[in-house]
Amino acid sequence: MYYAGVDIGSTMTKVVIIDGGDDLLSVIKGPTGPEHRQLANQVMAQALEQANLQIGDISFIVATGYGRVNVPFADRQMTELSCHARGVSVLFPDARTAIDIGGQDAKCMKIDAGRLVNFVMNDKCAAGTGRFLEVTAAALGINLEDMGDISLRATDQVQISSLCTVFAQQEVVALLSRGEKLENIVAGMHSALAGRISTLARRLAIEPRVVLTGGGAKNTGMVEAMREKLGCAISVPEEPLITGAIGAAVLAKEICLKTADEHGTPPAKPRRLEKATFFIEENP
Amino acid sequence: MRWFAGIDLGSAYSKGVILKDVEIVASHVVRSGSDYRASAEAIRMELTRRAGLSQEDTLHVAATGSGADSVTFAGLKASDIVCTARGVNSIFPQARTVVDVANLSTRAIRLDADGTVTNFTVSERCAAGGGRFIEVIANILRVDLVDFGRLAARSEHPIEFGTGCAVFGESEAITRVSEGVPKEDIAAGVNRALASRISSLVRKIRMEEPCVICGGGALHKALIQALESELKADLLVPPIPQITTALGAAISARAAVTEEMR
Repeated sequence: MYYAGVDIGSTMTKVVIIDGGDDLLSVIKGPTGPEHRQLANQVMAQALEQANLQIGDISFIVATGYGRVNVPFADRQMTELSCHARGVSVLFPDARTAIDIGGQDAKCMKIDAGRLVNFVMNDKCAAGTGRFLEVTAAALGINLEDMGDISLRATDQVQISSLCTVFAQQEVVALLSRGEKLENIVAGMHSALAGRISTLARRLAIEPRVVLTGGGAKNTGMVEAMREKLGCAISVPEEPLITGAIGAAVLAKEICLKTADEHGTPPAKPRRLEKATFFIEENP
Repeated sequence: MRWFAGIDLGSAYSKGVILKDVEIVASHVVRSGSDYRASAEAIRMELTRRAGLSQEDTLHVAATGSGADSVTFAGLKASDIVCTARGVNSIFPQARTVVDVANLSTRAIRLDADGTVTNFTVSERCAAGGGRFIEVIANILRVDLVDFGRLAARSEHPIEFGTGCAVFGESEAITRVSEGVPKEDIAAGVNRALASRISSLVRKIRMEEPCVICGGGALHKALIQALESELKADLLVPPIPQITTALGAAISARAAVTEEMR
């Protein structure tokens, strides 16, 4: 039996396929474009190819992320919070706190026995999300992916005084022109974002193990800054981007097994992998 | 003859005023560069040229704004809240509330019958609470600030912005443009969002009429209209709203000199 999780985030679309033993058969990531539906199909097709499976072989598919309603072939949609909490627990069974730094939001989740028990999130202000780094990195003319390595060379942290991303964008350029070292500015940017996210996280009682996920967790400088601000050890999954998709796939398995009939056959649902259309075609 | 200058060095614009005793003889507004000292010097050069001052004339200078420390030739540094209050009081002595909509932030000030500041509040340094929000979205719509106001005034169905963040608002505007929403509805939506933010700031200090709007935001008629309907009050606008705080600084320079002579 095979199960799939599709996570359409604001910046990246992720698909994983697992088997009954929770082993990963395929992992596909791609940037989320304006055409969610088409992209969901494409990414799913790639994932099937990688696992050498057909769409009909997948017993259950769960879609999550902010674009989850645009996955026409999904059997169920679930919130990214549930999927994330589940994904973190699969990867780290003793995890109690999960912090997800996404491109458009930041979420902090309390987990107990693999279930989400409480959460806080920020999707109102870009300065507390991955977008802060995206915008300021672009202003400095550096790649988001290089920020971690750049900050490791830092000898000092430059304080970023602007709270707002729009003003910080201007400030980092001014700091550079004033002769501050790029690596010290980047370290300051990580520290500023980590400060805001840890303030958010402290609204929940932080308990170990703390797991950091999302695009922000791919940035070593950001992980280091979070460790510093929270004052505790932080675990990062091997591929932090796919945590939500893994959770979705595992939840797909659970739902499927729960709803299966006495012969172990899951409820069948006609499913076709093709370009979705908003219009119902009339029969001639 | 005595000459007094007020220089208001802001993060986005540098403003200056020269008073000949009590009369405004020159004013100037330029975009602030990254070099505040150079902006201050440029403002002084242009002001003295416009006022027709020579090397021999003594100019008493007061500086205010976030870059006040960079006005090295100023004899006095004054608080921007006090300067705005003084500037407004000199134009509208009856004013009891001032809303100063600047690029970086918005400030709401309460005045008593003598024009003395009794209370004030400043918006968080968030682009969505100041004039910068308009600039950010105008840039997306590819219109200048003057056209932005005209566009907004034409709208009948302003869009509702889902977040209070300028960065997310920018993405939202891009999505709306690609969906084919008319530019005027987006522009009017920005004014509404900004007006609602500003009005909650003004309510914090318990607005009392007459209320004056100044700062660069007061150049936008559509924003003023949106704010008037939020506050359910008519707003008074100075003839050159951007220089109000600089004018107050010049008045502070005059007050300091008068004090010394006593």
